[in-house]
Amino acid sequence: MRNRGSWVTLGTAAAVVAAVLGLGFIVQRTTLRAPSQATLAAIRSATWLERYRLVDSTITLDDGRVLRGRCLQDWVVQGGRRRRGAVLRLDDGYTLLAVPPHTLSATGGTAATQAMSPLVLMELAGCPRVLARRLQTLAQERRGLTLGRDTLAFSLKGTSLTLRLAPHTGAPVGVALVSPTVRGASRIRFTPVTTQLRQLLGVSSR
Amino acid sequence: MATLEHAGSVPLDLRRADESARRLPVLAWVGGWWVAGRAIIIATAVVVHRVGPAGWIRLVSHAHALGPLGAWDARWYRMVASNGYVLIPGRQSDPAFFPLYPIMLRGGHALGFGYTTTGLVLSNVGFLGALLAFYALTRALFGESMARRASAYLAVFPFGYAFSMVYPESIVLGLIALAALAALRRRWGWAAVCAASAALARPEGLFVALPLAVLAWDQRHLLSPRARGVALGAVIAPIAAIGSFSLYLGSAIGDPMAWSQAERAWGRAFSPLGFVHAIDGFGSAFARDAWVTRDVVAVVLYLVLIAAAARAGVSWPWLLSSLAIVVLPLFSGSFDSIGRFGLLAPAAFWGLAALGRDPRVHRLIIGVSLPLLAAAIVMLPLQFP
Repeated sequence: MRNRGSWVTLGTAAAVVAAVLGLGFIVQRTTLRAPSQATLAAIRSATWLERYRLVDSTITLDDGRVLRGRCLQDWVVQGGRRRRGAVLRLDDGYTLLAVPPHTLSATGGTAATQAMSPLVLMELAGCPRVLARRLQTLAQERRGLTLGRDTLAFSLKGTSLTLRLAPHTGAPVGVALVSPTVRGASRIRFTPVTTQLRQLLGVSSR
Repeated sequence: MATLEHAGSVPLDLRRADESARRLPVLAWVGGWWVAGRAIIIATAVVVHRVGPAGWIRLVSHAHALGPLGAWDARWYRMVASNGYVLIPGRQSDPAFFPLYPIMLRGGHALGFGYTTTGLVLSNVGFLGALLAFYALTRALFGESMARRASAYLAVFPFGYAFSMVYPESIVLGLIALAALAALRRRWGWAAVCAASAALARPEGLFVALPLAVLAWDQRHLLSPRARGVALGAVIAPIAAIGSFSLYLGSAIGDPMAWSQAERAWGRAFSPLGFVHAIDGFGSAFARDAWVTRDVVAVVLYLVLIAAAARAGVSWPWLLSSLAIVVLPLFSGSFDSIGRFGLLAPAAFWGLAALGRDPRVHRLIIGVSLPLLAAAIVMLPLQFP
């Protein structure tokens, strides 16, 4: 008899716990909005971009020029202080150093490349932090993201960007850009960072 | 038959009349202190909106006459209410904010009110309910005079401005008190509902499980096997409620532990050595932001008050659950916001009420609390609660 009472107690407790679990889930499921597929795609893309700090790119501009680029997000020593920044190198000799909030210096390259906006070049080169930050902000605010078939469109400071996404992983594999002054597209590849690569790009290793 | 009915109804009516007569002064007392505390907060918030420091909440502060009360984490609760959850790895994101309060904000919004307006009404009216529930619980445990003092001190407690913000603290405190009150009255089904709801609104709601467990154990011989089962279920209900949140996050955004991950982006990563890191890192935290002193003072104050509660004979489950609410956040390596978290530690206010038995101490508590409550609102634009 006492044994049966214990089973009744345990069974009732289990029913109460199951009811809380089930009702809690149903209430949340029916009242809260689920994130859109575009938001989830943006978060996945940003995660890929944050995972890799080095991106190799092949950029094709609408004037027919083709540039190969390499963009590294890393710690950069400036005035004795380490700051997060980006170094972009193009195969025409152009080098861009961008260290927020105050440093943006470009050297080398052809006159046509020098005339382009540094932001446009960084976006086309797939500089990870620039793209990831924007995607994260738009995902958090649930606005400004348009998901197509393996593409994700958004805007960044006057430029319209479309990321091409790998079908199964959602990793960004290309960028298409339209700005008031230039159009272009690029293929991007994530590359593991090595000490040698960092030295090649002029970032001191530590 | 008529005589019998008549005979039966007289004592019942008398009892009802007696009950109503007793309730009226209680309502006046609790309501009076609620009005006093909230009036100070609302008046100061309006002044801050017009002439006060804009600080970090410039936009929110100027958007609404009570803008300062809808600042800081209120923005996150509004975001969850309007858009649901997303987890952004490595960045502060909204799964750190538990779902019950945003669901309530969404309910108000569905009725045509703005999220901030709904939140302000919910929190402030909810706090009146919380004060009444806290009064009733304290009265059931310690008697009338303790209940009066404890609810008065809670109403004007300097960190209690969070009860008027678009934050869930007032709702959680009310649910914790109602869960315990229901358990004391052997209404274990209600205890389960309130305890689960408290945990679904803030993780501190989990700690009401400890007093409930001891109450269930004490009543074990008085309850039928089925009622014992409901009581056991009520003890586990807060854990199950948090489980339902994990289940939901798993289904909506693919990560059942998103709430814990999101906490990390706020610098809250629990570890056994977190307490040591919090103490050890105080110097550098102070150098970065001297406001951390406020939360260190809050920890010391809460610990002193819980010690006073222990001296006054508050039972160990309440002491332990209140200690957990105050001390466990330190294991995340940070003192941040403990002044607000401690509002959900009932034993601290019982300790304060015990100290307030001395009329001079009583006058001191009230005399210090009221100006500090106003000062806290003035400082709100400069530092998060």
